[in-house]
Amino acid sequence: MPQQEVTLKYSEILRRNAAFAGDLPAQRYRIALLSNVVVAHLKDLLEYELRVEEIPAVVTLGDYDNIVQDSAKSKDADLVILFWEAYNLIEGLQFKADLMDSDTVDALVVKVSTEIDFVFDNLKHTPLVLVNSFSAALFAGLSIGPRALDDLCARLNRHLGERAPRQARIVNLDQIITHLGVNASVDRRYLYSSKAPYTIAFLKAYAEAIKPYVMAARGKAKKALIFDCDNTLWKGVIGEDGMEGIEMSAATKVGAVFAEVQAIALALNRQGVVLGICSKNNPEDVDQVLRSHPDIQIRDRHLAVKRVNWQDKVSNLKEIARELNIGLDSLVMVDDSSFEVNLIREQLPQVTVLQVPESGHLYPGLLRASRGLFHTLSTTGEDRRKAEMYSEQSKRQADRVQFANLDDYLASLGTTLTIHRDNAAIVPRIAQLTQKTNQFNLTTRRYTEADIARMVADDHTAVFAFSVKDKFGESGVTGLCVVGINGKTATIDSFLMSCRVLGRRIELAFMDWLIEHLRCARIEQVKAKYLRTDKNAQVADYFDRCSFRLLEASEAQRCYALDVEAYRSTSAHNVEVIYGSADQERDGGSVQHVA
Amino acid sequence: MEARIKNVMAAVFNMSPEQISDDASPHEIAAWDSLKHMNLVFALEEEFDIHFEEAEIASMVSLDIIAATIRAYAE
Repeated sequence: MPQQEVTLKYSEILRRNAAFAGDLPAQRYRIALLSNVVVAHLKDLLEYELRVEEIPAVVTLGDYDNIVQDSAKSKDADLVILFWEAYNLIEGLQFKADLMDSDTVDALVVKVSTEIDFVFDNLKHTPLVLVNSFSAALFAGLSIGPRALDDLCARLNRHLGERAPRQARIVNLDQIITHLGVNASVDRRYLYSSKAPYTIAFLKAYAEAIKPYVMAARGKAKKALIFDCDNTLWKGVIGEDGMEGIEMSAATKVGAVFAEVQAIALALNRQGVVLGICSKNNPEDVDQVLRSHPDIQIRDRHLAVKRVNWQDKVSNLKEIARELNIGLDSLVMVDDSSFEVNLIREQLPQVTVLQVPESGHLYPGLLRASRGLFHTLSTTGEDRRKAEMYSEQSKRQADRVQFANLDDYLASLGTTLTIHRDNAAIVPRIAQLTQKTNQFNLTTRRYTEADIARMVADDHTAVFAFSVKDKFGESGVTGLCVVGINGKTATIDSFLMSCRVLGRRIELAFMDWLIEHLRCARIEQVKAKYLRTDKNAQVADYFDRCSFRLLEASEAQRCYALDVEAYRSTSAHNVEVIYGSADQERDGGSVQHVA
Repeated sequence: MEARIKNVMAAVFNMSPEQISDDASPHEIAAWDSLKHMNLVFALEEEFDIHFEEAEIASMVSLDIIAATIRAYAE
């Protein structure tokens, strides 16, 4: 799987590949590996790399240094790999080359070029041929000196480029060696003793490098690249930070990474990769960025599909696939949130998900390394127009919203909601939350630290702050509810949550807990208000969903009341609620002194 | 350590670990040819994060010797 982070050990690959061998379908993907050195250990590595992608690959090894004759016997293979190694074109060429006179070198170039022509002719009907470029990198080192092997390789590579048939692709060996480093690529013990110059690490990288060609040949190339918005296309949260607060300029420290990511996406788009957006946001906010942010590179005209709403991403991705009329397995989704990434991986394993690395500077490299996923063997004008075709197709369809059932997934997260009351230690963070939170915010009342400190100390005001923890980590203080108490009536003054923890029924679990907590404190009635702003449309019906009675509604606000005994639990069973902790007791104690 | 070595050997020779006896050698394991020996060396080096000398590689033809060679690196 592309998303697997840890590279497997060689022995584990051997074990798993042997297990695959038991139930391959009758129709195999036949690969002939022809070489003038020993690369037998590539067989298992390459088979495994392809079999995990459900390509039933079987690698057949040619005889040692018998490429020309073996190519005649390999016509029926689906893929022929020519692993032609420069240093063994003749015995000891790596040191002999520097001693050869130019006539001898010329004669050698003619001999090998003729062999190459024979081989290409033998393979002219083979669907796919991969041929390595000749490389002297294993022997170059840092020294200054004669470089006859380099010159020889350059001449042979020119010949390869001129003569390679249409269905052949040249694998850039220098690129793989550069990526890994010479010393990690070469095993000098076996280079001399067994004509097996390459390490397992190199052969793993080689298998990975040629995989996109095979995926393309098998129709498994990805077609669409779908981005989340906040902290994925740009730095910051548009709903919170606003147009001035988000960054994606190549000229700023935090923006540069995102400028590069957008450019990589646009370059893919030029090659025919469909771009799209799938984001939990207000559509107007995202549209405004796409239309008028000074640093945005990806524009509406590049986007074949947009799903900007508060629906879960699994449903959105299903709709995107349907709208573009491609399979879910053709989608690559990029997102920064562990919650979303893991939700998609568990619910839609066909979708390839790339998570924005926590270290921003690794992000462009991740996306660049993933370009092979989209590789197609052909490069016709039709491919380049494909992106536009999808774009039009998408506009013809307007699907209705449909919710997936997420119960099982949410339950599997092991979500814990920890609630503290009147915790003086976190007053600055609470004040900051009231200042910054726009979207999930019922009343949008902004408070200073002094305001919060006063309310924390006040017996008639309860300040509930909460944090959320699940198997992927802890959110820190991300939610707040301020409740005024007057006799047997409680009034919800503020209720807000950071957008980081939305979509997990936290808001419902909290209300279940709060009402039960108030009932125990002999409160009989709860009053609440929703005050409309430009940003908080997503919570307009929140109190309705929590079985509050709507008393009056206007454009600006909705007023509610709840008889505590009439409250119907929202059944957010996926969330476990913990009230207070040792820390809270200690901090609670200090509140008294502050008061 | 012997169990870890046996697991690696089993993967390389495509056998189950139980089939690898304590005095396993190329004489009784048919798959243990020179090519598989190279694979075994690579797999062991990765497993134990070591790098064998050529003389060691040539001598590592039984479970005992392999274990002793690896143990020498651990000391």
